[in-house]
Amino acid sequence: MSEPVSDQKIVIIGGGMAAARLVEGLVARGLGPQTTVLAEEQHVPYNRILLSAVLEGTHRPGALALREKQWYADRGVDLRLDSLVVDIHRDTRTVELADRTRVPYDAVVLATGAIPSLPPIRGVVRMDGSMDPRVQAFRSLDDCARLLTLLDEQGLRDNPRLPRSAVIVGGGLLGLQVSRALAVRGIETEIVEGRDHLLSSQVDASAGKVLKRSMAKLGTQVYLGARATRLTDEGLKLDNGYTLETDLVVLTAGGRPRANLARRAELTVNRGIVVDDQLRSIDDPDVYAIGDCAEHNATVTGFVSPAWEQAGVLAEVLAGNQAAAYEGHRVVARLRATDLDVCVLGEPQNETGEIVEIANPVKGTHRKLVVRDGRIVAGALVGDLSRVGLITQAFDRQTVLGEHEAGQLLLPEPSASGSGIPQLPDDAEVCACAGVSAGRIRACRSLEDVRDTTRATTGCGGCAPAVRQLLATRPDSSPLDATQLSLEGTTS
Amino acid sequence: MTDTHCPYCSLQCGMTLSRKGPRLEVSERSFPVNEGALCRKGWTAAGLRGSRERLTTPMVRDRATGEWSAATWDEALDLVASKLADLRKIHGADTNAVFGGGGLTNEKAYQLGKFARVALGTSQIDYNGRWCMSSAASAGNQAFGVDRGLPFPLADIERTDVCVLVGSNLAETMPPAARHLDRLRENGGKVVVIDPRLTPTGERADLFLQPVPGTDLPLALGVLHLLDAAGAVDEDYIAERTTGFEDVRRSVAAWWPEMVERVSGVEAAQLRELASLLANAENVMVLTARGAEQHAQGTATVLAWLNVALALGMPGKTYAGYGCLTGQGNGQGGREHGQKADQLPGYRMIDDPAARAHVAAVWGVDPETLPGKGRSAYELLDALGTPEGPKSLLVFGSNIVVSAPNATHVTSRLADLDLLVVADMVMSETAALADVVLPVTQWAEETGTMTNLEGRVILRQAAVTPPDGVRSDLDVIAGLAARLGVVQGVSVGYSPVNRRELPGLPGPTWSTDPEEIFTELRAATKGGKADYSGITYDRIREEDGVFWPCPEGSEGTPRMFAEDFFHADGRARFIDVAHRGAAEQPTADYPLHLTTGRVLAQYQSGAQTRRIKDLPDDGAFVELHPLLADRVGAHDGDPVVVRTPRGEMKAPARVVTTIRPDTVFVPFHWVGANKLTNDALDPSSRMPEFKVCAAAVSA
Repeated sequence: MSEPVSDQKIVIIGGGMAAARLVEGLVARGLGPQTTVLAEEQHVPYNRILLSAVLEGTHRPGALALREKQWYADRGVDLRLDSLVVDIHRDTRTVELADRTRVPYDAVVLATGAIPSLPPIRGVVRMDGSMDPRVQAFRSLDDCARLLTLLDEQGLRDNPRLPRSAVIVGGGLLGLQVSRALAVRGIETEIVEGRDHLLSSQVDASAGKVLKRSMAKLGTQVYLGARATRLTDEGLKLDNGYTLETDLVVLTAGGRPRANLARRAELTVNRGIVVDDQLRSIDDPDVYAIGDCAEHNATVTGFVSPAWEQAGVLAEVLAGNQAAAYEGHRVVARLRATDLDVCVLGEPQNETGEIVEIANPVKGTHRKLVVRDGRIVAGALVGDLSRVGLITQAFDRQTVLGEHEAGQLLLPEPSASGSGIPQLPDDAEVCACAGVSAGRIRACRSLEDVRDTTRATTGCGGCAPAVRQLLATRPDSSPLDATQLSLEGTTS
Repeated sequence: MTDTHCPYCSLQCGMTLSRKGPRLEVSERSFPVNEGALCRKGWTAAGLRGSRERLTTPMVRDRATGEWSAATWDEALDLVASKLADLRKIHGADTNAVFGGGGLTNEKAYQLGKFARVALGTSQIDYNGRWCMSSAASAGNQAFGVDRGLPFPLADIERTDVCVLVGSNLAETMPPAARHLDRLRENGGKVVVIDPRLTPTGERADLFLQPVPGTDLPLALGVLHLLDAAGAVDEDYIAERTTGFEDVRRSVAAWWPEMVERVSGVEAAQLRELASLLANAENVMVLTARGAEQHAQGTATVLAWLNVALALGMPGKTYAGYGCLTGQGNGQGGREHGQKADQLPGYRMIDDPAARAHVAAVWGVDPETLPGKGRSAYELLDALGTPEGPKSLLVFGSNIVVSAPNATHVTSRLADLDLLVVADMVMSETAALADVVLPVTQWAEETGTMTNLEGRVILRQAAVTPPDGVRSDLDVIAGLAARLGVVQGVSVGYSPVNRRELPGLPGPTWSTDPEEIFTELRAATKGGKADYSGITYDRIREEDGVFWPCPEGSEGTPRMFAEDFFHADGRARFIDVAHRGAAEQPTADYPLHLTTGRVLAQYQSGAQTRRIKDLPDDGAFVELHPLLADRVGAHDGDPVVVRTPRGEMKAPARVVTTIRPDTVFVPFHWVGANKLTNDALDPSSRMPEFKVCAAAVSA
């Protein structure tokens, strides 16, 4: 960086989750007043990944904003909403907005995210260039709001004009989430996926099969290896000859890094904008990129956690710490949808290693870990998330596991002890507060006797049920058993 | 027959002592906190009476030979006072330091603070309460403007709807308190327990969450996220009684359940279950304890849970709110009366000119002569014997070398002192390193007030006379003060202290009578946050204790915040906190989390309980999960070694399914555990991170 860190102007293009996290990092380092955010949407940065939760109804839309507008202002951050950047002029170190105004920078950060892919379906775009009103994308808060309006016009659920069915194009994480969200709202949903199984980028074919079966149980028909080709008045036509009658088509078929600005500015773009370990463009030391639009170490990610980690590193870099470096990130993808449990660790489709796998297609579960040198390097848990927290910790921290541990992690947890009280051996402790064994209780005749001679039940009171049961089941022998009495003598 | 209270934890259970020949016998007594119940520590509390290990004469150690010899009290006190005076002459007043304890009575804590500031003129005084509930204290002060552990009686637990215990194992650490949980459940309420170990408390839970140690904070953020997403926050309460919610509300937008799951290891579904339990409850009580508080981000963790309670509109509502389950017997009172580096009696701040003027007037000295803020407990110990640090330390009611974090280092600091003086009843591990050990009375032999976890001031009464040769801490303080030359404003003894005294004021006095000192304490606290001025020994006896604040003429305050919080605007504050994570994260060499805690039959460093023959003293152990045991080849009962970057210890393995497989647990009552713990400090409370560090285990 040529400028002194102290008064450099930092311009962030984009107002998504990566940009918001970067701003927080800059503010924490006192760089707020030097920061300008140019956001295309009219909403303050919000938590995009919860859009399907809003659609499903578990989250109110207002809960998604990551910071209030005032928060930015109070910290000196110049947040400009509704600001579309059309060009980066690297020669003059300015960015140009759609209204032709220019904003100078010393460091510019591209956090432009991804652009949803529009599958080539004829009839989606009508002759006049507008989108067919049945078709909805699902990437932004506005998309979500439109969809919600369609679904629940004036809150009249019985309105005959409301859609009753929907086809989701794309059987990835987002497609499944949207499908579940709509189904929870009572819409009949179908999924069209071009590949041969669901979640094909994340899980293998057998896990995909389990998922398809689960979706069917939940009432969602899935069409695999099928492409939507045409939207007509009769419905959505697939290349396998089917026509799906539908009121709504939601496009969730993935996205690609949004790198047009970088291309126009003649920065190196492969799949994404190519950056080094400091998230700096390999062409220009004053240009950076983070999040979905960036390509680091030949990898583009579509997930928020690496984007946030990149934002954290870049905040350090922009604050002058050139030793800060992004070294890649382990991705954990978690499906957020009612009655559908999926967790994907890393890239189980691509990682090599020993595979430990337990599946029960009847129960709809498929659990798999890829283990290399004792470490979990990837995995997919479908339909059964037991120990997901523990498995994720072992994956994130690259813990070296024992020989059989990966397998044990996949097995059901041994059920809680539930030991039958009457079987307690005489030396088992029943009352921890007073340190009283089952034998000493059995040697007593009544609860009062227990209280007076052993003080069991006089502390936390938690052993009272066990004591009662022991007294009730004590062998109804002659008054007091001499052996038990002497036992008592030795323990006190 | 003497009505008194248990010598141990912050419940201060009521009990009656009666003399049976040479022995003292404990019997039950009705008191609202414990209703006659006691744990085995309480039942056996009189067991130290007549112990052969009891010290009955001052001991002086020869530095050259390490040999101990008995001394008379005059010899010992003369020796200590003259050394203190000499050191002060050479290095200045701050060279002499004082370390107190949360087990000392209010009168002792008060007198100790006064002794440090007036007789020694030092700013260097702090106490082991920093290692107890200081994070909750700091959070309470920030959110409510005041810190009283529980702002309601403990028995209120029975009448709430959902009680959330964050990092508390009260069924083992304060067993009689668990009765209130059981009764809550009998009444149809729910108990939630959050702990890396499924403890006897967790076994009582309707919902048990088992997070990675050090992640209680993101759990709270996740709960608030879900409450806000569902529209379950109390907007009216927030608008009328609080400030700062908008920033907090926005900050939790980044903590959706699956994100929390990844960080905390708690499944998203469980977090949802907790949020829905809270959203649908009329009354919610959130209680934190050491598990949540003893972290380098302990204050922030408590604040995050406080934010949950505030967002639900609970604090100030009857049978609801937030509270801290203080640990030590007088953890509450101990922090209110001036043995903390930044405070004067009545929970007054030492840098507040009005507070200084008030307290100085009670003490009969010029406010100008009062020193300012000193080092916090760990920082004080860390500085001992260093060029800038104190050269002497007087220890009352604390067994530092067992209870301090990074104990090997702390022990080396003690070794570099010119003078270490320990007042204790037995030759504790810390006393064994001292130059002078002063034998002092124990609980049943002395009278004084304690303030329990509810902010209830209670009275312990002497039941027996102390053994010959034993004196009270109050006698030690008075004896040293007299020798240091400030009795009744007249310079006597070793070193006339260069103190300007206000004309017309009598100068400081050094009573040894607890009730007399309490009367002075009442005056010193008058008008402070922790106002005791309306409390008398007689009232305490008659009313089963009195809750502060209790200005003269007041009935006391069992339940706080019904109308106002203690900030100037009367509102509670939401405080936006971020999760940074534990200071020390697992690495390839130290791949596990280590956490520490207690067992039922022992108390603190065990100086008392390990000497009571009726309490099992099984020594330390290492709790680990069968998955981990398999991984490292450990077998139940066989020794394993636990290592951290600071030290190692060996103890038998206890293989249990109740602990997280990525975590090991060691109890801290025995030497060893704290050789392992991390001394990273909370930026606000200066609490060390006892509850999590990176560790390795090998068989």
